[in-house]
Amino acid sequence: MAALIMAKPNFQNQRRKLLKQLAAVPLGAGVSMLSGNDALAMGCDGNAKSLVCLFMAGGADSFNMFVPGGAQSYSDYLNSRGEIAIGESNLLNVSDANQGAFGFNALLPAFKNLYDQDRLAVVSNVGTLIRPTSQSDYLAEQALPESLFAHNTQQKLWQTGAGIVSGTSSFGWGGAITEHAATCNGPSAITPAFSIAGSSAWLDSASSQYISLNADFAVQRMQGLDNISDWIPPQRLSRVGNTIEDLIAQGEASGNAAMLRTISNGLDRATVATASLHAALRRNPLNQMQYNSRNKLAKQLHLVARLIASREELGMSRQVFFVLMGGFDTHSDQPEREPVLMREVNEAVSAYQDTIDDIGAADSVTTFTASDFGRTLTSNGNGTDHGWGGHNFVFGNAVDGGRIIGDMPSYASRNNPDDAGEEDGTFAGRIIPKLSVNQYGATLSRWMGVDEAAISQALPDLKNFAQQDLGFMKS
Amino acid sequence: MTIFQAIKRLLPYAVVLILSACSDGVVVDSGNNTNPSNGDNTNPISGEGGTPNTPTAPVDNPSTPAPSVDPDSGPETPAQAPQTSDFSTGALDAADVEAARFLTQATFGPTPETIAEFRRYGSIDAWIDWQMSVPVSTTKDYTQEFSNGSLRSPRHHGWWNNVMDEDDQLRQRMAFALSQLFVISDVDYALGNAQYGVTDYYDMLARGAFGNFRALLEEVTLHPAMGVYLSMVRNEKANPAENIRPDENYAREVMQLFTLGLFELNMRGEMIPAGNPKPTYTQTDVSEFARVFTGWNYPNVRSWTDNNITSAAYEGRMVANENFHDNGAKNLLNGAVSPAGLSAKQDLDAALDNLFQHNNVPPFVAKHLIQRFVTSNPTPEYVERVARIFVNNGAGERGDLSAVIRAVLTDEEARTGHLTLTNFGKLKEPVMRWSQLWRSLSATPGPSANGIHATANHPTDQFDSMTGQAVMRSKSVFNFYLPDNPLVAGSQLLSPEMQIMSEANLAATHNNWHHQIYRFNNRADLNDDNPRVTIINLEPLTEIARNRNALLDWYNLHLYAGGMPTEMRRTLFDFARSYPTSNQGRFELVQDTLFVVLTTPQIQWQR
Repeated sequence: MAALIMAKPNFQNQRRKLLKQLAAVPLGAGVSMLSGNDALAMGCDGNAKSLVCLFMAGGADSFNMFVPGGAQSYSDYLNSRGEIAIGESNLLNVSDANQGAFGFNALLPAFKNLYDQDRLAVVSNVGTLIRPTSQSDYLAEQALPESLFAHNTQQKLWQTGAGIVSGTSSFGWGGAITEHAATCNGPSAITPAFSIAGSSAWLDSASSQYISLNADFAVQRMQGLDNISDWIPPQRLSRVGNTIEDLIAQGEASGNAAMLRTISNGLDRATVATASLHAALRRNPLNQMQYNSRNKLAKQLHLVARLIASREELGMSRQVFFVLMGGFDTHSDQPEREPVLMREVNEAVSAYQDTIDDIGAADSVTTFTASDFGRTLTSNGNGTDHGWGGHNFVFGNAVDGGRIIGDMPSYASRNNPDDAGEEDGTFAGRIIPKLSVNQYGATLSRWMGVDEAAISQALPDLKNFAQQDLGFMKS
Repeated sequence: MTIFQAIKRLLPYAVVLILSACSDGVVVDSGNNTNPSNGDNTNPISGEGGTPNTPTAPVDNPSTPAPSVDPDSGPETPAQAPQTSDFSTGALDAADVEAARFLTQATFGPTPETIAEFRRYGSIDAWIDWQMSVPVSTTKDYTQEFSNGSLRSPRHHGWWNNVMDEDDQLRQRMAFALSQLFVISDVDYALGNAQYGVTDYYDMLARGAFGNFRALLEEVTLHPAMGVYLSMVRNEKANPAENIRPDENYAREVMQLFTLGLFELNMRGEMIPAGNPKPTYTQTDVSEFARVFTGWNYPNVRSWTDNNITSAAYEGRMVANENFHDNGAKNLLNGAVSPAGLSAKQDLDAALDNLFQHNNVPPFVAKHLIQRFVTSNPTPEYVERVARIFVNNGAGERGDLSAVIRAVLTDEEARTGHLTLTNFGKLKEPVMRWSQLWRSLSATPGPSANGIHATANHPTDQFDSMTGQAVMRSKSVFNFYLPDNPLVAGSQLLSPEMQIMSEANLAATHNNWHHQIYRFNNRADLNDDNPRVTIINLEPLTEIARNRNALLDWYNLHLYAGGMPTEMRRTLFDFARSYPTSNQGRFELVQDTLFVVLTTPQIQWQR
């Protein structure tokens, strides 16, 4: 098989480059290296900005996170969902100036409070779409996204903004934001994109990498390198470290051996990232962020907050983050499982946003949710199955919040115009999205300063939608 | 920092300076032919002995053991070869290399003993014949002995003991590979308290590893642990009045992940038609199969809704309750119909037969096994050769897994792909990297570990928090990694394992190697540290280290399957020069070279 790797920047000897850069540029010396006018022209306005994707893996039942409140809609909702529905007494009432009454799940008071403070917007019924899609389009299989209702494909399409998995759009729209972010930032040893949840198609990019960290452990320096070791006697240590570095460099220079080169680059990035981050993170423990230590999402967001607190020190005027919480695939026992999930999300978001407020970063940090898909309005007895459109949430001081973006779907179980139902006309409760991931992503990318050409490239189906910006970010 | 510590840190530099000014001192790099004139205990770098006329001799360097105690001291015999050999690219026996390469693919890591054993069998086929006759080692009995059913660590202890010590290596590799196809996981809450059920499931995979795919698919489908994991247990027929439909979970994943994949495949494993592949099933098909998989309950419960789910509910297979089964006609794939009026079991048989006969299954399963054992990017021809054996094992049987795994391992591409294909091979699974080291060095559980293996920084049940992988601990039914994960974004080359090679995992693994080698070795004082960590015995290597080339050969054979690049070997050879030939010096040489050898990127690429 021919080597089919796309052209990649040369990552060889990142460590040596790092050492040179750190020697030349004092830590924290100027967030942007661009002069004022250049910076503005490139969408780098000098103010720091961080964007955080909170991915609810498995397909979050967002129809139970945010519930219609008007009499007819709520009755439709109850009828469609049966025992899965959230009772009226378990809703926190809010209203939208144009669309009337709604309720947040009572286990999400942090969301409700942010909404009341006009700092959270609900983006209604958003999902993977190639173009505006009607019920008849669905039944005729016209221009549908690939492998609807399949977890991995839909996750990938959400994160890449593409309608099909293969082809040219295999990079993430978060990766496009990272590429832009890198142009705004000062010299930094490492890329300003972080996944705190393993691999992320959202951060994939043709020209930049992201760093994948583990929230369960402090970022450790790699023992044996940089003359750090708890156990190797000093007189042996530097030769050990140099030899390891030499062998990584040999691996990076290994010509056609793509697999060896890739894992070598990964090790090189690991050495650079851990060396760069551990000191900054130690200086910014943000112990004021309090949460149950079993709350994995909160742990991830805590690390995000610490990296945000470190952004000047790291020379990063722009940062991009991906966190992920699993367990949302509630096919069974949803009445028992959903409250657990809601409590965890709420506690994490509450503690995290309080901390962001506390460190004075709320104006410059925007966090948004995403998920594989929404779930069916109908139930399978005690759970829900894979749907399509769902509600998502964007919060932070830069969000023009306290309102609902887009029209809420119909919740009716008969003649529902939004249902991607069975071929025989049976109601399935899989809701066809009205808003596209492309529109959602473009609005967020624009806030981060990505130019229109790059947005169109990263979100190739945006052109098929009349509204190119959903307007939930303050300009 | 105390003054003492400061002096300690500066000492090595002082030593080097003094030495370079000291004509009769032993140079740090002894070169190819410099025989230390004072015999063995001469190099002051180690702080051991030292020449009396250098000022460094009396220095008590607390970071190395006390000077005069040399575990196998006594008079050094002239027969002892000093480390003066010239660089060589190695002198490995070709048959040993072939054995090590094969055993890296087919077992949890070659050892000196298993290499010799393989050579006694004389051929891959004979070795596989033997492996298929070895009794199954299991995990459930161990788990029942040490877990109350909720305690999750014992099943990992039992599993590691098996892969470390038991003879049924190929079967265990196969069970592990199958557990990455028919995925269940106890990370989620659903199976956390069903440890007997989870281990029963794994042992079922081990027992069925060389059986028929269709039979195993049925066992998987009806196992209560799978019933819970993908919520087929107590799945009911529709109730249209309340907008209740059957649960689609198992119906969808059995097609997407266990048998077919998303798109139609040819025998070469390529999606067809090229450029515009056809989905293997529609949402309607999922709904129809969801109706098939209705009416199944736990065994050994009193009623359909009995909430008292004990370990007995995981004994045996799920049982049908026709009252909850949808017995209407269902459309299956490729125009087949399961007619109205069938029982839950008859419907299930029809559906599983329908899947089993689908043209996707042979290449789908072939590619999965090839990726787990041999290479991430098999040629289409390799996939097709294995798929054809799936279709017909030579005796007319479809789905004979014993024939399939034999075809995977004996195929020309598996045997010689490293010589002919640039991108042949795979990144080693993290579990394999660890088992490989432990097995090759006969690692033993720590003195207070009650026979339980543990790494320095993570017990085995948390191995996934360090590496992203531990048996039946994936984050979802999509396994630890996806089979089509690109090596790098945008690449056509695949590397499933790269998906979990995060910077965090690589760094954590690196540091765990460090602690294993420097802290948890046979010469450490185990009583004042953590006596539960598995210990590696470095004495055999310390003997071999009398000759640098022999040491590098040992690493190359057991950890690199003969594939250590020459440039790397030269780097290691030069690195190994500066160590004294004393027993302690050789021990330190082994520590440092082993650490370097384990933490390279090169070791991760299994060819």
